[in-house]
Amino acid sequence: MMSPLMGGLQKTTNYRVVLPFYIYASVSFLVATVLLFLHTNIFEHHYFYPYTLAITHTLALGWGTMTILGASHQLLPVLVEGKLDSDALAYLTFIFTAIGIPVLIVGFYIFQTGWLMQTGASLVNIGVLFYVINVFSSSFKSKRRNVHAWYVITASLWLFSTTFFGLLLVFNFNNDILPEDSLSYLSIHAHLGLVGWFLLLVIGVGSRLIPMFLISKYTNPKGLWWIFGLINAGLVSFIVFKVWGLSPLSYYFSVALILIAIALFARHCIKAYKVRIRRNVDEQMKTALISVLQMLLPFVALIVVLALLPVDQHPNIVLLYGFCILLGWITAIILAMTFKTLPFIVWNKVYHKKAHKGKTPVPKELFSEKVYHAMLIVYLAGFVVFIFGIIFINEITLKTGAVALLAAAVLYVYNTGKTLFHQPKKL
Amino acid sequence: MSVNVPTNNKERCDFALEDLYNVYDPEVGLNVVDLGLIYQLDFNEEEKILDATMTLTTEFCPMGESITSDVTQSLTYSFPEWQIHVNLTFDPPWNYTMISPEGNKFLGR
Repeated sequence: MMSPLMGGLQKTTNYRVVLPFYIYASVSFLVATVLLFLHTNIFEHHYFYPYTLAITHTLALGWGTMTILGASHQLLPVLVEGKLDSDALAYLTFIFTAIGIPVLIVGFYIFQTGWLMQTGASLVNIGVLFYVINVFSSSFKSKRRNVHAWYVITASLWLFSTTFFGLLLVFNFNNDILPEDSLSYLSIHAHLGLVGWFLLLVIGVGSRLIPMFLISKYTNPKGLWWIFGLINAGLVSFIVFKVWGLSPLSYYFSVALILIAIALFARHCIKAYKVRIRRNVDEQMKTALISVLQMLLPFVALIVVLALLPVDQHPNIVLLYGFCILLGWITAIILAMTFKTLPFIVWNKVYHKKAHKGKTPVPKELFSEKVYHAMLIVYLAGFVVFIFGIIFINEITLKTGAVALLAAAVLYVYNTGKTLFHQPKKL
Repeated sequence: MSVNVPTNNKERCDFALEDLYNVYDPEVGLNVVDLGLIYQLDFNEEEKILDATMTLTTEFCPMGESITSDVTQSLTYSFPEWQIHVNLTFDPPWNYTMISPEGNKFLGR
């Protein structure tokens, strides 16, 4: 005879809310790598090029943002120490972004600056607005707000700033609503998303999950507040310097602030790792920890960009910088964290309330470790080869790297599908 | 079995633990008994109520709902005629000293 559980317990987010984001993101990763393979010549052009914009947004919105939106809906209870306020808002977020993203991407691809781009960007903004409302209502209904909650709250606002600014840029193509042309604002738009949304959220979530997965008792909220302040100060100062039209040398100040923040986060992870209770660290955690170091790569590229100004003479270095971020650390951390979070979500769906019937498979048995391993190898090989391809603008090297990245995407989709369609084992 | 869970009925407690050894924290891959999540098992013989006091490795553990539900299911399976009350507490909070020697061995410590 069972009775309800006594004492406080956090409700887990409904898997139906989360899984569509993961499915959508994995397909987007595949589409992005196919586009990359088909259009390796984009690296011979300026970064403001239709195919480049289409591929960048497939990666940034379809792949990165959709995965992170899914994961953050799942992890919001852990971060804000409360429950996800509204499943309905989460579904609306998915519907609007899922429709808006391909419309926007097709708009970029065929460079139709009118209704197609405008409709896509508007739909994405509506979806993101629903997400922001959900984050705020979930966070402020919770009794307390820790540093991780402020990371997700602030990151959601930066995400909306990114998409809203993106919407203005789209309208600015045909109507002069901004003082200068859209190209002039591209770096602000990109950094709002890369630093404000991706970096802040990854650090906010990572600082919570990495110690949790390592079973480490290391906590340092004060250090995390410093990182939070440095990232936001770095981003705001960059925007201010850019709008005021100061010398690109001033950007070193913003870069320095963000570099210090990343270094502090790396230190945070190392300390958590050193005092971990769980000595056997799995492949996914190792990849996630390596991706923290990968965060530094784009900055090396950025320093090269700044040192080699004027930028218009070195567009491939700018593309290298973007590539290192989107297909570098963002992709690496997603590849690792998908197989850390998704198997749990599916495990909870399939094996919940079945423990008394015998030993259930552990979540990591829901996907193939061998395929995961192969995916990592081809991904890393593709990543390195592609970097050389961008630097030397060599078509064969670029195509070789693109094939490896495409193979990594195929293996990722395979393993994601294997996890999603896992059938319960007889207990 | 090398785990000592405080109880008012050693025999029934051991019987309950036998099944609880099959309830795993899916992330760690270690059972809840060796992990030290089970704080106390009290048996009210007259009213046939089993009070299980347990914790989680962290208050906002994403698998918390699943683990507590599995503990409830396991105890219901062991004592089908009894009312099962699972009390979740974070006082005292879980720490690594609560892991059994077998658990430590499993974790590579």
